[in-house]
Amino acid sequence: MSYKIEIQDLNAWFGKKHVLQDITMKIKENVVTAIIGPSGCGKTTLIRCLNRMHELTPGAKVAGKILLDGEDIYDEKVDPVTIRRRIGMVFQKPNPFPMMSIYDNAAAGLRLNGVTDKHRLDEVVEKSLRVAHLWDEVKTELGKSGASLSGGQQQRLCIARALAIEPEVILMDEPTSALDPTAAAKIEQLIRILIEDYTVIIVTHNMQQAARVSDFTAFLYLGKLVEYGSTKDIFENPKSELTEKYITGEFG
Amino acid sequence: MSRILDVGLEELSVMLCRMGELTFETISLSIKGCLTDTKVYSRVREMSDMLVLMADQAEDKTFELIARFQPVASDLRTIKSYMKIAYDFARYSRYALDISYINEQLGGLKECEAWISEYIEKMSEKVLKMVRTSINSLRSHNTKLAESIAQTEKEVDEMYLTYIDKLIEKAPATSKCTISSVLIIRYLERIADHATYICESVIYLATGKKTALR
Repeated sequence: MSYKIEIQDLNAWFGKKHVLQDITMKIKENVVTAIIGPSGCGKTTLIRCLNRMHELTPGAKVAGKILLDGEDIYDEKVDPVTIRRRIGMVFQKPNPFPMMSIYDNAAAGLRLNGVTDKHRLDEVVEKSLRVAHLWDEVKTELGKSGASLSGGQQQRLCIARALAIEPEVILMDEPTSALDPTAAAKIEQLIRILIEDYTVIIVTHNMQQAARVSDFTAFLYLGKLVEYGSTKDIFENPKSELTEKYITGEFG
Repeated sequence: MSRILDVGLEELSVMLCRMGELTFETISLSIKGCLTDTKVYSRVREMSDMLVLMADQAEDKTFELIARFQPVASDLRTIKSYMKIAYDFARYSRYALDISYINEQLGGLKECEAWISEYIEKMSEKVLKMVRTSINSLRSHNTKLAESIAQTEKEVDEMYLTYIDKLIEKAPATSKCTISSVLIIRYLERIADHATYICESVIYLATGKKTALR
């Protein structure tokens, strides 16, 4: 199995606050990697560094390397927009564009990238909605507002929107924390299906979700990578006392 | 503030310690029955049935804790080990019952020469020591104590094989004695194996390492 992403000595700051310290880890292709840790440990910052979103925050700074297929995404020659196209993001709160129809939401990325051909758009919208396991539920009402869907459907619409521009990696920041258990279970099942074609990195507060859905787990604490290994090892036999205490609920 | 899961784990631990003490009594009684030719079968049967029931309850409890708390790491290892140990205790009690049954049905060691009874007494002392080690190491999750069982396990295995060799060399006076003594020695050796499994489980739950003490 090859590595899709290699993080080397990554450091990140918000102004003077040093939020990520010397993170080095290799992320495999076509697997789910979960990032866990207590609030404020740097989980979200870490994945926002992976598609160059961290730098969009005023005062934010990044140092170190992140290789995507061996190429440093922080190299000056690299266009961050290209990176964000290759590495998509799904957020905690489902955020479909509220004034847009289901169809237009799914087509938004393509249109932004200049695709106007109706036939091509139809094709991609259907494919993305199918992969996101939403097609059967919405195929007769594609003209309805994205905001009219249930929370779980909205989140799958956001996943479809991310998939439409054919990324290679999908970052998910707490994708189910605003959803009810049934909707969350659907997203988890979907994640397992997605890794046939994509590499998924998920940030989650829910340890059991990390245990269920991921192949590898990274535990972050106070901006540092404490332990990173197979999910089986982390949840059966963690090496670090700190990991043990966090996942068994002694703190956090 | 202690975790809700801790209450369940503590309950399970108390159940197992109680089982441990009862198995020790059961095995001691069945061996005493053989060595002194006293009628203990019905008492051993009662104790053994009770232990099988307790093992069942302990297993139910482990399932409940898994279903309700989704334990991980050392919690998960502890629960898995407790489940196995409850079974080991049930096996202790079944072998004790088997020993008692030999005494009841075949007259035990009555027809054996003195050296055979002495040999079995010596071996049973070692086995009881191992049973005690398993119970004490479980109670305190003491891995050093658990590791120490390996030596006695080796000695008991040797005694078992030596005894078979001795019988091949020179058969006892009656076939009743041959059958009784061989079975008793075999059951003692199996009890020793389960004591060793328990110690291995204690090491696993405390450290996550799978060790073979055999």
